[in-house]
Amino acid sequence: MTKYALVTGGSRGIGRAICIRLASMGYSVLINYNNSLREAEQTLDAVRNAGADGELIRFDVADREQVEAALNQWATNHPDHYIEVLINNAGIRKDNLMLWMEPHEWDSVINVGLNGFYNITHLLVKNMLVKRFGRIVNIVSLSGIKGMPGQTNYSASKAGVIAGTKALAQEVAKKGVTVNAVAPGFIKSDMTHDLDESELKKMIPCGRFGTPEEVASLVGFLVSNEAAYITGEVISINGGIYT
Amino acid sequence: MDKKELIKLINENLAEEFEVDIETITPEAHLMETLDLDSLDLVDMVVLIEQNFHFTPKATDFREIATFQDFYEFIESKMNGRQ
Repeated sequence: MTKYALVTGGSRGIGRAICIRLASMGYSVLINYNNSLREAEQTLDAVRNAGADGELIRFDVADREQVEAALNQWATNHPDHYIEVLINNAGIRKDNLMLWMEPHEWDSVINVGLNGFYNITHLLVKNMLVKRFGRIVNIVSLSGIKGMPGQTNYSASKAGVIAGTKALAQEVAKKGVTVNAVAPGFIKSDMTHDLDESELKKMIPCGRFGTPEEVASLVGFLVSNEAAYITGEVISINGGIYT
Repeated sequence: MDKKELIKLINENLAEEFEVDIETITPEAHLMETLDLDSLDLVDMVVLIEQNFHFTPKATDFREIATFQDFYEFIESKMNGRQ
């Protein structure tokens, strides 16, 4: 029987690597994207090359109506299946010092990062509980653990998801659903391409940025049956930056 | 206040706030490098400008400023605009 996984923000970077990893584990992958259709199609090709099937599913995680419409449509088309793995990966950065932060910079980052987590998770968790199996992995950030100056919006959004991860894990643990967070540090991706790697890597004990595939590998483990006893955890993957 | 007095006032304030030798401040010198500022130090710069020159600079204003000369002209234009 086909098993389904949804990855939000699956078109690029860490999200794409997770899609490919889940495909290699046999999942049919729902690749969510919002604006990046071309990149999402490339992810779908990569998923198929990894030996599984997949489909694109377009919605803005911050838009509750869009999310509901898309997921309800999928459920109607797949009456005998459910999404057993949810990777809440979509996120945006709008860095600014607090004294200059515009309302839209605060609101948009919170809406995608924190409200997006709610918008999708509350729709999918019921079937996981009923079927007595589910895996939710939230991609958070070092910022959400230690706080990063210039990122009060992003740090607050990720810290909110971390607390939500711990709370939800306790609500659903008895029903075979695990909820964990993965907190990447500096990872090579579109989100970090504006950062000065040669300067920043001096503060990373491993001496380099991580790769999306390394993050995806950890996510793959948390999704696996072997990780059934791990829940409510925040696992850092940051090359040794002490938090 | 004439331009010379304004420049003197700016230099004194910057040297004190960012603990540099005032002699290192010349019109052609690079502002951020000379004062050893990173983007976080801009908080202190905003407070300094607010307290001494009574306006609030935007983040984008600093993208236009490379040298101390640019900074003097920026402060002067803002102050003239208010008169």
